[in-house]
Amino acid sequence: MSDPFLELDALTLTYGDTIAVEALDFHMAAGELVALLGPSGCGKTTTMRAIAGLMRPAAGHIRLDGRDITRVAPNRRGVGLVFQSYALFPHLSVYENVAFGLRIARIRAEELERRTHAALGAVGLTDFAGRAPAELSGGQQQRVALARSIVMEPKLLLLDEPLSNLDARLRLEMRTELARLQREFGIAMLYVTHDQAEALALADRIIVMNDGKVEQVGTPEDIYDRPTSVFVADFVGFENTFRVERGALSGANGPVDAGFAVTEGARGLAWRPQDVTLGQGPHRGRIEGASYLGQSVEYLMSSPLGPIKAERPAHEKRHATGTEVTFDLPQARAVELARG
Amino acid sequence: MTNTRRAGLMLVAPATLFIAIGFLLPVFVLLSGAFRLESGWTLSNFTDFFADPLYREVFFRTFRLGLTVTAVAALLGYATALAINDANPRSKGRLVALLVLPLMISPVARTYAWLVILGRTGFLNVALTSVGLTDEPLRILFTEWAVFIGLLQLFFPLMVLPLISSLENMPRDVIPAARVLGASWLAIFWRIILPLTREGLVVGGTLTFVGSLTAYVTPAILGGSKVLMLETLLYQRVSVANDYASAGVIAVILIAMSVATNVMLKRLATARGGR
Amino acid sequence: MRHAGRALLVVVMLFLVGPFILICLTGLSGGETLAFPPDGLSLRWVIRVFEIESFRDSFALSLTLGIGATLIALILGIPAAYALVRYDVPGADAIRNLLTAPIIVPGIIVGLALLRHLVIPSGLGVTLALFLGHTALLIPYAVRVTAASLQNLRADIEDAAILLGASRIGAFVRVTLPNIKNGIMAAFIIGFITSFNEVPVSLFLTGPGVATLPVDMLLYMEYNYDPSIAALSGLLALMSLGVVLTAERLLGLSRYV
Ligand SMILES: Nc1ncnc2c1ncn2[C@@H]1O[C@H](COP(=O)(O)OP(=O)(O)OP(=O)(O)O)[C@@H](O)[C@H]1O
Ligand SMILES: [Mg+2]
Repeated sequence: MSDPFLELDALTLTYGDTIAVEALDFHMAAGELVALLGPSGCGKTTTMRAIAGLMRPAAGHIRLDGRDITRVAPNRRGVGLVFQSYALFPHLSVYENVAFGLRIARIRAEELERRTHAALGAVGLTDFAGRAPAELSGGQQQRVALARSIVMEPKLLLLDEPLSNLDARLRLEMRTELARLQREFGIAMLYVTHDQAEALALADRIIVMNDGKVEQVGTPEDIYDRPTSVFVADFVGFENTFRVERGALSGANGPVDAGFAVTEGARGLAWRPQDVTLGQGPHRGRIEGASYLGQSVEYLMSSPLGPIKAERPAHEKRHATGTEVTFDLPQARAVELARG
Repeated sequence: MTNTRRAGLMLVAPATLFIAIGFLLPVFVLLSGAFRLESGWTLSNFTDFFADPLYREVFFRTFRLGLTVTAVAALLGYATALAINDANPRSKGRLVALLVLPLMISPVARTYAWLVILGRTGFLNVALTSVGLTDEPLRILFTEWAVFIGLLQLFFPLMVLPLISSLENMPRDVIPAARVLGASWLAIFWRIILPLTREGLVVGGTLTFVGSLTAYVTPAILGGSKVLMLETLLYQRVSVANDYASAGVIAVILIAMSVATNVMLKRLATARGGR
Repeated sequence: MRHAGRALLVVVMLFLVGPFILICLTGLSGGETLAFPPDGLSLRWVIRVFEIESFRDSFALSLTLGIGATLIALILGIPAAYALVRYDVPGADAIRNLLTAPIIVPGIIVGLALLRHLVIPSGLGVTLALFLGHTALLIPYAVRVTAASLQNLRADIEDAAILLGASRIGAFVRVTLPNIKNGIMAAFIIGFITSFNEVPVSLFLTGPGVATLPVDMLLYMEYNYDPSIAALSGLLALMSLGVVLTAERLLGLSRYV
C-alpha cells in the first residue's frame, strides 16, 4: 500500500472525564471508500468530529495527505462532513444551503451557480432549490446535506450515516451515486453506518469499532467470512457464536464438548444459522419456534449451549415446535476466532 | 484551561462584571449600612424599627396584603385557568392575549384607573348611589381594600399564565380517567390537578407574593399615606425625613423576603420533580 | 359547569380590562376634575397632555432610556447567554444566579443604592445612574430570551458552517444570528416596555428636570386632580397596545413572554 492518505495514530478522544475513543489507529488510502461499522455509542460520530477538527484529541495525531493536521483549524482542513443530524441552516433555502461554502470561498457568481446546480442535480433535488429545509422530508434533507458537502469537492469526505433516513429504493440509488462520485472525483470517503449490508456493498475496506476501539479492519470478504473476534462474528451475523474455554464451548450452564478437537489458541467458534444441521450430531436441543421464510425455515432452539438459531432449506424434513432434536455444529463450517 | 472554557469566560465577563460592580456592589453597601451606626456593627436599627408600633403595623400589613392577594389570586386563578383551558383553541388564544396585554401597560396607568373607579365621585359610588343601594358614597379609596383590589388586578395575570401552561402540560385525559374511576370534582382538583400543576402554582405564587410585597405604585396611588406598605414607607422615610436607618432596615427586610421566597418556592417546585 | 366557567371568565376579563375602558372615557372628559360619568366628551385633556412641558421631557427621557438600556443589556447579555448555552463555562451556575439577581432585588432598593452609593459620592448625573439601573434590570431578560432561542437551535449548524469554510465569528453571524433574530427582537420589545413602565428603580433617581415618565406622572398626580393623567394613561395604554400587536404580528411575541 502507498503512503496512507489519512492516518489516525493512537487517537484518544474524551468528553470531560469519559473516554469515548481510546488509542484508535487506522489509515486509509487516497480515493478509498472505507466504512466505519459499529454499534450505537461506540464512538463513530466522535471519531468523525475529531477528524473534521470539531474536537481536539486528548492524545494522538491525525495526518492527512502527508500533513499533521491535529492542530489545524476545522475550516482549513479541506475535510467535508455530512452530519448525522444533517445540520442544515434553517433560515436558508435549499439552494443557499448548498451554495453556502462557495459563497464563503468567494467563488465567482457563474461558477457558483453552475456548481450549485450540478450538486443539486447529483442528489436529484433540482426542483426543490427554492424550498426551506423544514419543508423537506428527512431523506430529502439528508440529500441536501450531502450536496452541501460534495459541492466543496473536499479531499476527504466524512459521512455520518448519510443514508439512514432513505427508503430502500432511494438508498440503493444514492449508494450507487456515492460510489460514482467517489470514482469520478477520487474523493476519499469515510463512511459511518450501522447497516452491514451497506458497508459490504459499498466499501473497499471496513473498520469495525466497538466501545471506542478498533475490533477488526479488512475487506468486506475478510469481515464477513473471516471475523477474528467474538464481537465481530456476532455483529456480522454469526448468530451462533461461542467462547472457547479450555478446549470446550462455553454454554449457558458450563462447558459443552464441541464434538471435535478445537484448535489450540482459538478463543471462540462461530457458525451461521445456515451451517447448523439438524437430525444428527452430538448436541441435543428443543425447538422453541419455527418461522417459514419462503425458501427456508428458521428454527429457534434451546440447548445446553444456550439459544441456537438454525436455518434449513424448506424441502428438508420439518421439525415441530416443542420436539427434541439432535443437531450438529460441523467443524468444517466453523469460523475460528482468535480473540474473545 | 481549555480554549472553550476561556472563550466562555470572556463572553460572560462583561455582563457579569457589569452586574457585580454596577448593581450588586451598591446594593450590598446599602444593605450593610443597616447593620451599622457610627459606633460600629449593631442590630439596634432593627430593634428601633420594630419598637415603633406604626412600623410594626406597616410590616404586618404588607405581609397580610401579600398573603391575601396571593391566596385570592390562586383560588380565582385556578378557576380562571381551568375555564380558559376548557375553551376552544381560538377563544383560548384570545383569552390568553387578554391576560398578557395588561402586563404590557404601565402600572401607573393600570392603577390610576382604580382611582377613577373607587373615588368618592368615582364610577362605583355613582353607580351605587344612583341605583339607591347606598346614600352615602362608600369610602374605599385609601383603605386596604383599594390596595388589595389594585394589587389583585396587577398580579392576577402573573398567577394565571403559569397555571395555564402547567395545565397544558398535564398528560392528556387524566381528568376524564379520574372521572371514570369515580372521583368527585373536588377529589380531582385535590388529587390530580393540584399535584400536577404545582410548578405553575409555585411560579405564579412567587411572582404574586413577592410582587405584592415589593409593590410601590399601587399602595402609593390607592393607599397614600393612610395605608403605608413597606415600599411606600421606605420612600417616605427617605424623601421626607432623610431617615436612612429605617430605610436600610426596610431594604434588608424586603430583600430577605424576596430572596427567601424565591429560594424556598424553587425548592418546593423541584422537590416532587426529583422524586 | 360550562356556564359557570363562562360567567367567571366574563367577570375576570371585565376586572382586568374594564378599568382601561373607563380611564380612556375619563381622559376624554370635558370637565375640570376627575369624575364619572365625565362632563361631556372633548379632547381638551388629551391636548393638554402634550402641552405640559415636563411630560414632554420625561417622555423623551423614558424613550431614550428604554431604547438605550435595552440595547446595552442585549450587547452584554447575548454573548453571556451564548457562552452559557454553548460553552462549558467554569462556575456557570453561580454566573447564572448572578445574572438573574436584578430580578430578585426589589427595584426601590436598587434606586436608593445607586443614589446613595454611586450618584452622591461620585457626582455622576442621575441620568447615568438611571441607565445603569435599567440596564442591570434588563440583562436577566436579555440573557433568558436569548438563551431560550439558542436552546431551540441545533448547535451543529455552526460546526457545519465552519467545515464549509466560515470562521467562528462568521459562523455565528451568518448562521446563528439569523436564526435567533426573532428572539432578540422580542427581547428588545419586552425590555423596552419593561424599562418604559418601570417605577421603583427610577423613583429615587430624579433630579431637577429629570424624571422618567411614570415617576413624573406620580409626582404630577400628587398635586393635580384633573383628567390629564387619565388622558395620558389612556394614550400610554394605546401605545403599548400598538407596539405589542405589531410585535405579535411580526414575531409572535407571546411565545417569548
Ligand atoms: N457531548 C457528549 N458528552 C459526553 N459524552 C458524549 C457526548 N457525545 C457522545 N458522548 C459519548 O461518547 C460515546 C460515543 O458517542 P458517539 O456519538 O461517537 O457514538 P456513535 O458511535 O456515533 O453512536 P450512534 O451510532 O448512535 O450515532 C457514547 O458513549 C456517548 O455517550
Ligand atoms: Mg453517531
